[in-house]
Amino acid sequence: MVERESAADIEADAARWVVRVDRDGGAVRSELDVWLAGDRRRVGAFARAEAAWTHMDRASVLPIEDAPAKVATPPPRRRGVIAGFGALAAGLVAAVVAPRLLARRYGTALGEIRRVPMDDGSVAAINTSSELEVSMQPRLRAVKLERGEAWFAVAKDPARPFVVESGPVRVRAVGTAFSVRKREGGSDVLVTEGVVEVWTQDSGAPPRRVAAGQSVFADNDAGVLTPPKAEADLTRQLAWRDGQIVLDGQTLAEAAAEFNRYNDHKIQIADARLADQRFVGWFRTNDPEGFAEAAAMTFNGKVSQSGDAIVLRGG
Amino acid sequence: MSEGRARVVAWLGREILPHEAAVRAWLRRSFAAAGDVDDIIQETYCRLAALTNIEHIDQPRGYFFQAARSVALEQIRRARVVRIETVSEIEALDLALEEPSAERIVSGRRELERVRGLIAALPERCRRIFEMRKIEGVPQREIARRLGVSEHIVENEAVRGLRAILAAMTEQDAPTGAKGVKEKTDGRTRKRR
Repeated sequence: MVERESAADIEADAARWVVRVDRDGGAVRSELDVWLAGDRRRVGAFARAEAAWTHMDRASVLPIEDAPAKVATPPPRRRGVIAGFGALAAGLVAAVVAPRLLARRYGTALGEIRRVPMDDGSVAAINTSSELEVSMQPRLRAVKLERGEAWFAVAKDPARPFVVESGPVRVRAVGTAFSVRKREGGSDVLVTEGVVEVWTQDSGAPPRRVAAGQSVFADNDAGVLTPPKAEADLTRQLAWRDGQIVLDGQTLAEAAAEFNRYNDHKIQIADARLADQRFVGWFRTNDPEGFAEAAAMTFNGKVSQSGDAIVLRGG
Repeated sequence: MSEGRARVVAWLGREILPHEAAVRAWLRRSFAAAGDVDDIIQETYCRLAALTNIEHIDQPRGYFFQAARSVALEQIRRARVVRIETVSEIEALDLALEEPSAERIVSGRRELERVRGLIAALPERCRRIFEMRKIEGVPQREIARRLGVSEHIVENEAVRGLRAILAAMTEQDAPTGAKGVKEKTDGRTRKRR
């Protein structure tokens, strides 16, 4: 009887073929075909190893099958994708010198994220399509958020409160870190360190204290109507500071809206069923195509281009 | 990889691999006489990989069991002597399928943690290479350059990592790495008393 190749040998060879194809691509295809033709079990072992190899890509992407879990720990960061802010900030310093200027404007284009150091030692990270004006006065550090979103790490200075003006909404801090996003009817405030006071001018409602780990929505007319909400995933919500979008149980529709804040190529979800699917993943803000591909792969959908739009539909 | 093939491979990883441990346990329990379980598993994957359309498969777990069962039956038919009970045990597949798989109700988060956990459990250099390739998306050649090692070493570590992960995913003992450690399958007697 002819010695039959053992399943263990086939398994080992299959794993090697998967790694070689990953490195050399089509160049090894004909050699691989010869090997595969030798035994049906090789075809099976190769598919199995390939499936595991591909499955590992889910280390950064995967679907959620149940309701979004409560987040106990912040998700690990996707490493090495985005260059640190150090370089970014260093590049900006040159453009932002001119000290002693009272008011200074900063703006970002669609998809742009800037981190800007201020004269008082505070730092602002400015999200996509945003505009703000900073005016350092002797008794007040005033920031006017004209549109968009920014996060501030405020240098401590009890004599000079730091006040962000977002329409009629005001956020006051002494030494703390928080973000403000200006929306249609009001502003979102997220606090990452310390405590801030949030109120709306002329609303009659008293300032509301919002502590680290909490968020609040301040209505442009009525002020803060609901008590501050504990946020377990502030890190996720502020991942844009690193040029990332972190999804943790958001629906595809919510995720698409998030990507569309940053890109000309807008994602459209052409399938209502798909829009409600939930997703976990780490992406770059400027990679809507990558997101659409991953979503399509995960939910058996299809991606197509239609003009400037990236259309995602069910398979 | 063509788009269709990529879809089937992704489906295998997502819907089939997680059940392999259960299928293996069932194969071992029900009919060792059918031959080497590894052989049956490989042959089963061969059939699954040949699928061109997976959309119609509502219950991948059940489909996997059915496919493995049909492979096993074929091998038994080929073997000369078979215990009658063996066949009836295989026919009693429904029993193994009854419980609607608790592991399917695993949340996305837990699955993510599991996949990351598998990578994290690899030996140091192997883990680093896997992370660079699979999480950071660095090509193998670039990994070799960054780590200052040969491409061959990167290949070997990746193969080692992939095999360890496959073994862990399907709840087998880690492979020893040496070829030919496992007993050859043919020549084994299929006659059992």
